[in-house]
Amino acid sequence: MAAPDLLDPKSATHNTKPRLSFSTKPITLTPREESEVVTTVMKWKTVTAIFLLVVLYLVMGAAVFRALEQPHESAQRLAILSQKLEFLSRHSCVNQSQMEELVKQVVSAIRSGVNPAGTLTNHSSLWDLSSAFFFAGTVITTIGFGNISPHTEGGRIFCIVYALLGIPLFGFLLAGVGDQLGTIFGKGIARVEKMFMHWDITQTKIRVISTLLFVLFGCLLFVALPAAIFKHIEGWSALESLYFVVITLTTIGFGDFVAGGSEIEYLDYYKPVVWFWILVGLAYFAAILSMIGDWLRVISKRTKEEVGEIRAHAAEWTANVSAEFKETRRRVSVEIYDKFQRATSIKRKLSSELGFSPAPELTLPKRTVSVNFNDERDKEAGLQGLTTPLTRNGGLFMNGLDPERGDLSVIEPLK
Amino acid sequence: MHSAGRSWLLLTGFILFYIIYLLFGALVFSSVERPQEDQLRTEMKALKEEFLNQSCVNAASLEHFLVKVLTANKYGVSVLKNTSMPSNWDLASSMFFANTLVTTVGYGHTTPLSDTGKAFSIIYALIGVPFTMLVLTACVQRLMYPLVLAPVGLLQRSGMEPRPATVVHFMLLLILVVLCFFLAPAAVFSTLEVSWSLLDGLYFCFISLCTIGLGDFVPGTQPGQKYRPLYQVSVMIYLFVGLMMMYLLLRTFHKMADLHGLTTFLQLPRCEDDLDEDREPIVEDHH
Repeated sequence: MAAPDLLDPKSATHNTKPRLSFSTKPITLTPREESEVVTTVMKWKTVTAIFLLVVLYLVMGAAVFRALEQPHESAQRLAILSQKLEFLSRHSCVNQSQMEELVKQVVSAIRSGVNPAGTLTNHSSLWDLSSAFFFAGTVITTIGFGNISPHTEGGRIFCIVYALLGIPLFGFLLAGVGDQLGTIFGKGIARVEKMFMHWDITQTKIRVISTLLFVLFGCLLFVALPAAIFKHIEGWSALESLYFVVITLTTIGFGDFVAGGSEIEYLDYYKPVVWFWILVGLAYFAAILSMIGDWLRVISKRTKEEVGEIRAHAAEWTANVSAEFKETRRRVSVEIYDKFQRATSIKRKLSSELGFSPAPELTLPKRTVSVNFNDERDKEAGLQGLTTPLTRNGGLFMNGLDPERGDLSVIEPLK
Repeated sequence: MHSAGRSWLLLTGFILFYIIYLLFGALVFSSVERPQEDQLRTEMKALKEEFLNQSCVNAASLEHFLVKVLTANKYGVSVLKNTSMPSNWDLASSMFFANTLVTTVGYGHTTPLSDTGKAFSIIYALIGVPFTMLVLTACVQRLMYPLVLAPVGLLQRSGMEPRPATVVHFMLLLILVVLCFFLAPAAVFSTLEVSWSLLDGLYFCFISLCTIGLGDFVPGTQPGQKYRPLYQVSVMIYLFVGLMMMYLLLRTFHKMADLHGLTTFLQLPRCEDDLDEDREPIVEDHH
């Protein structure tokens, strides 16, 4: 991105617009075919590389999960099977098929959210207003716990339409909240940075420290504190509370642990406070996740840069060497030409003073002027200070000499 | 200061509107679902009483048994007849689980039981979620050119103004995505899964592709599913590609809103292209 700007100073001023903006002129493809093909190939390579990495990551995760979970699953299965056999043997009047039938019904009832264990009379409904509010919240934030889900056809259709409108709405809200959070935090960081200024630490260190502070403070406020509260109220273990917090705030939302989903008597304001925590915590987590994504990008960029740097160094070296050769050749030819010019002008002057007719001009092939004004300047200085280069960036010199046109009159000093 | 005040006002407006929207949803869900739930509850009660009446089981031991069964069921372990059911944690299913973790869909039909599994899920998610987002964004950026910019350019060259051209293109893209990623897969799912209707398939596709992932419908979990690993892998691929298309749609819509001045009006962040390392200006619009 930087390279095109540097090469063409005019386009730098156009950078205020986003790159791929639709302009009012019809979009024409400038003839950069070869370079475009090159970058297309490179980008596909990068994308394929990242994609392969993700697949690898998934396979690795699958293997680890399998190794960790399968023994537990087999143990659970054995336990429940033995329970079933024990139950059947103890209550001999129940036959297997009856029990299977009961279990099937019970399981499907559980999936609909009705818990047949315990007395069914004094259960609060899963669809009273506060729980439905919570469910609507989980749909819109795309967390989707799933401990409650609609079972009627009408409910499902409404859920689809509701989510279609609600998810973008929540996206906007999250963007707004994230912005405000960022501004508040930025102001705090600015104050801290002002303190650090007195201690004379480098800018990068300040940045790193402020990022760490952000992560730590946010973790404390949005992760550790709620986890402790959940542990206390819901009766989960510390790991389970932390697990719930992370799974919720990344919007994965398995639903095996849900705050406010068990049979405990909750305070009235518990669920709204949980919802508010989810909103702010989501903004914080979005910031963290984007920061991790930036780090990954920077790491991959750094490795690419290192590889690119080596290549660039090699190219630069060869370019420098060939430029040196060209320059030496050119300088020699220029000196010869200038000496010739001087000789011609002296001759002309002498002949005009002595009244002779001007001799035919000796012409040399036109000097090719390089674009590199530095060379011009050096050449000028090398002519023993005959002309003073008053401007640094080429163009007309202020004493009226234009090096481009080879107008090097050296009459004056010869007087 | 004026713009800061305005942004606070807008934010408060958004929050209020959001709360109202949630209340509205709660009311509708409540009124639609509650009768069904009550009916199910009475059915369950009757079932239990009937069971207890005709057998020698007493209520306490039945409760005890049921609690055990339900706890096992919560983790995906079923107590029903076919004990030769495949594990929920063989390689393909574990990969499916890892995929739901990393794309933040999170069905929850199987969840880690062990403490180590939970701890590993936390770390895995914290790294994998931004990783996946990175991949998706990179793929979408690549797809922007052939699927968005080229057709819009084509439309513009055939004489349309830029703004209507983007709207027309967005509509076409929307119809295409709905056909290919919602209706067609819903039809496929409703034939492959025995108990799913077309509406169920559509509901599943929508809930998965929006990464809500309630988990009430999960393909490939029926007992006796043939070619289960292959099925699960193809569902994974479908989810990934579908997610990419949703991001593409979202990005196109964002650009369109930018062009029509909606985002600046609502003071939302513009569709800034990410500072991806090899992002190149594909279209030069100077001289």
